[in-house]
Amino acid sequence: MALLALLGNSRMLKKAASGVLASLRGSTYRSVRLASSLTAALLDDLFEHPAGRSTALPHGDRLMEKSDHTKVAILGAGRGGLALLDLLHQIPSIEIVGIADRDPAAPGLPRARELRIPVTTDMPDLISNHGVSLIMDVTGDPEMEAYLHAHKPPTVDILSGSASRLLWQLVQHESKLEAELLQSEKLAGIGSFAAGVAHDINNPLQLILGLAENLAEERDLTAVHEQARDIIEAVKRTSAICRDLTHYSRRASPHENVLVSVNDKLDEALKIARYASSFHDIEMIKQYQPGAAVKGNPDELLHVLVNLITNAVHAMEHAGGTLTLETTVLDEQVGVRISDTGCGIAPDKIPEIFEPFFTTKAPGKGTGLGLYNVKTIVDKMQGKITVDSQIDKGTTFTLTFPNAEPAGQEGCLS
Amino acid sequence: MSENEFKSGFFIGGEACEGRVLVVDDEPDIRKIVKMTLQKAGYEVLEAENGEKAIEVINSGENRLLLDVVICDIRMPKINGAEAVAYFRSNYPRVPLIVLTGFPDTDMATSFLRQGVVDYLVKPVEGEKLRSAVARAIEQRELARL
Repeated sequence: MALLALLGNSRMLKKAASGVLASLRGSTYRSVRLASSLTAALLDDLFEHPAGRSTALPHGDRLMEKSDHTKVAILGAGRGGLALLDLLHQIPSIEIVGIADRDPAAPGLPRARELRIPVTTDMPDLISNHGVSLIMDVTGDPEMEAYLHAHKPPTVDILSGSASRLLWQLVQHESKLEAELLQSEKLAGIGSFAAGVAHDINNPLQLILGLAENLAEERDLTAVHEQARDIIEAVKRTSAICRDLTHYSRRASPHENVLVSVNDKLDEALKIARYASSFHDIEMIKQYQPGAAVKGNPDELLHVLVNLITNAVHAMEHAGGTLTLETTVLDEQVGVRISDTGCGIAPDKIPEIFEPFFTTKAPGKGTGLGLYNVKTIVDKMQGKITVDSQIDKGTTFTLTFPNAEPAGQEGCLS
Repeated sequence: MSENEFKSGFFIGGEACEGRVLVVDDEPDIRKIVKMTLQKAGYEVLEAENGEKAIEVINSGENRLLLDVVICDIRMPKINGAEAVAYFRSNYPRVPLIVLTGFPDTDMATSFLRQGVVDYLVKPVEGEKLRSAVARAIEQRELARL
């Protein structure tokens, strides 16, 4: 039935998908976001109200009385299965009861193990037992559909063939869209680096020029050597700026999922944030617990931290204050806290801060996508973000991620 | 510059001097290089690492009277360059100010020149250009005194 519900919606889904494409070409934030939320709403409808749009379907009354969760079995752990896992595990009303693939090396299987989703090669067992209510077939095997219809328990719905391909295409669009938004926001933000970068490049250039002018007349060989060394150091400092920035501005590789040291990323983010905002009159406190490691995309995590640090510093730009960066490691969780003693966020604004296009900055100063992208990335890493703020006292953002290296499990990540 | 060649006509510590210049910049490298460049032309160079220190220096002892030029960066901690410029202009309107900044910004330059800043230089600036800007500033100060 869910299949038919989806097919019933397919015209709208296609419309959403083509809207996504058109918007990507047009590249206007709001319409991109609109198409994206349309896709998300349709997916919500599909899973939360499967019977809602399918009155003429067999078993139409059965799903109405089911428990809150749609229990999904995913067949096929290739690229399609992997994308479905990443999408569906974020939706609270969906429980993925298992994923099956005949190929033990399929790329979706390690991801499933990370998400603590049961992995099996025994498809008949997966579809018949475990209370599955929807089978999503992304094997791409033309015989699978017939097999499923012949062997599935009568109450189970199947999403396969063109419907599952369409869904997969939508998921692909969604992830392209997120990447596009992230990149746009990052590039928009780099404009604010101009003053910091100019300062940090032109200062060493002034030193280099002055020393070189002096060297042209200098007769004391010791002074010549010393000044030549100073020039070399200044050139190195200048080239480090270009290296940091080109590294930061590059497009995050979309599917990278590796072990990342949070402490290293915080330090890297600090370097970048210094270009975006003035750290003058800001006292820094770092309390890092060694070994804080999470699983995710290093470039995206860097982006999250740069955003939060830059916001914290902006909140203190008028009166100065203290920026505290803290990491903690518990058995199951890695925590990151970024606190400022700045202006704080008004209580009525807090529910809105993670919404796209919410900004308190003057027109042209902020994209309103910073915290939205932060939240998207944190969700993708199966983390949580919370905010605690008091007007004129300061703000603390707390991130918690699953510990990528819980004690005693080092090297067991498969 | 020999002792006999002094021009602007005052003595500091018994030595002839082209003039007394205060350089305000948070980067020690910049203070060092500006000092080196100007000392070669016979100026005495004082240093301050931010606007707050600069105000302290200008208010201490004979500087109040003898300071000829202030060269000021903009992006600095404590009291930043723009605030320092405003302070100097209202409290020491007779001391010429030269802005030496790493970030060229036309609007800011215009606003500084309107406030009476005599020159707006962008790093990196050649030694000769810096020295002639200082010389020109002192000349204007001399003219204003007449």
